[in-house]
Amino acid sequence: MAFNILVVDDSATMRMVIKKTVEISGVPVGHFFEAAHGKEALEILDNNWIDVLLSDINMPVMNGIELLAEIKNDENLKRIPVIFITTVASDARMEEARRMGVAGYVTKPFQPEVIRGVLYKVLEDAYQQKVEVPTQSVAQEKDDDLDF
Amino acid sequence: MDDQFRSLVYRACSAVFETMFFLFPEPIDEIPGAGRRGAFAPNGAHIRASITCHGSSSGSFKFFIPRLLAVHITTNFLGVSEQDINEEQILDTAKETVNMVVGSLLGKIDPTGATKLQIPEATMLDNFSVTEVLKEKGLFLFNTDFGPLCLVYTQQ
Ligand SMILES: [Mg+2]
Repeated sequence: MAFNILVVDDSATMRMVIKKTVEISGVPVGHFFEAAHGKEALEILDNNWIDVLLSDINMPVMNGIELLAEIKNDENLKRIPVIFITTVASDARMEEARRMGVAGYVTKPFQPEVIRGVLYKVLEDAYQQKVEVPTQSVAQEKDDDLDF
Repeated sequence: MDDQFRSLVYRACSAVFETMFFLFPEPIDEIPGAGRRGAFAPNGAHIRASITCHGSSSGSFKFFIPRLLAVHITTNFLGVSEQDINEEQILDTAKETVNMVVGSLLGKIDPTGATKLQIPEATMLDNFSVTEVLKEKGLFLFNTDFGPLCLVYTQQ
């Protein structure tokens, strides 16, 4: 199965980096969707099938915590696993996010392997199926393409 | 500003530059030759990237990033070459830098999460005067291969 992924971050360059990181992680991707804040993300969620959401917390208009609350309160959306990729690293904020039902938490700055690890685990937990890990050589080749 | 705060700031900067940009800024006490006219030429253009935080520790953090350095971190961040980046991406990377540095710093100094980060801002400065910045009390300096990097913390 290929997954439709929504990346939410007010930084366009960060969205690009996250997208690249997901691509080299080898997770099979159907479509990538992008939003600059929570409100834009909700519009995309209203009109598209999304399998997993990777979201920043600190964003204008609607932040990641508010977005998570909207998703968890919506019968049609609450199945979607949300992973926070954020600079907000305080224990209290992480605990709050966990209580609200976040599926994974990655703090910026991040190593690409961390996103990869969390994404695989979250997808496998959510969809009860093994996500095929690409062979070492493919992952290695792709890693070489990335300059960081 | 106590020594522990200083070392946490230095550590947060290093972690961001090393992990995201593969760059190893070296903390320094002063900029060699900063008093001389034209010490920053020909790369006088800088980017000022700032963020404020409110709560138990309120204040603002401002990075002054030499344009050359900003270009370098943007290309490393995106994994593309210099001709493939634009001004918007350079400013955006600078904003994300100050966001990541201060965000991870707050995680260390404020585990209760009471301090809230605002949205970062960045501006291109054509005429940057290091002399003014060097007078600031909450000054952190780094040496890089692309010029000196300044960070100014102002407590509110
Ligand atoms: Mg943000």
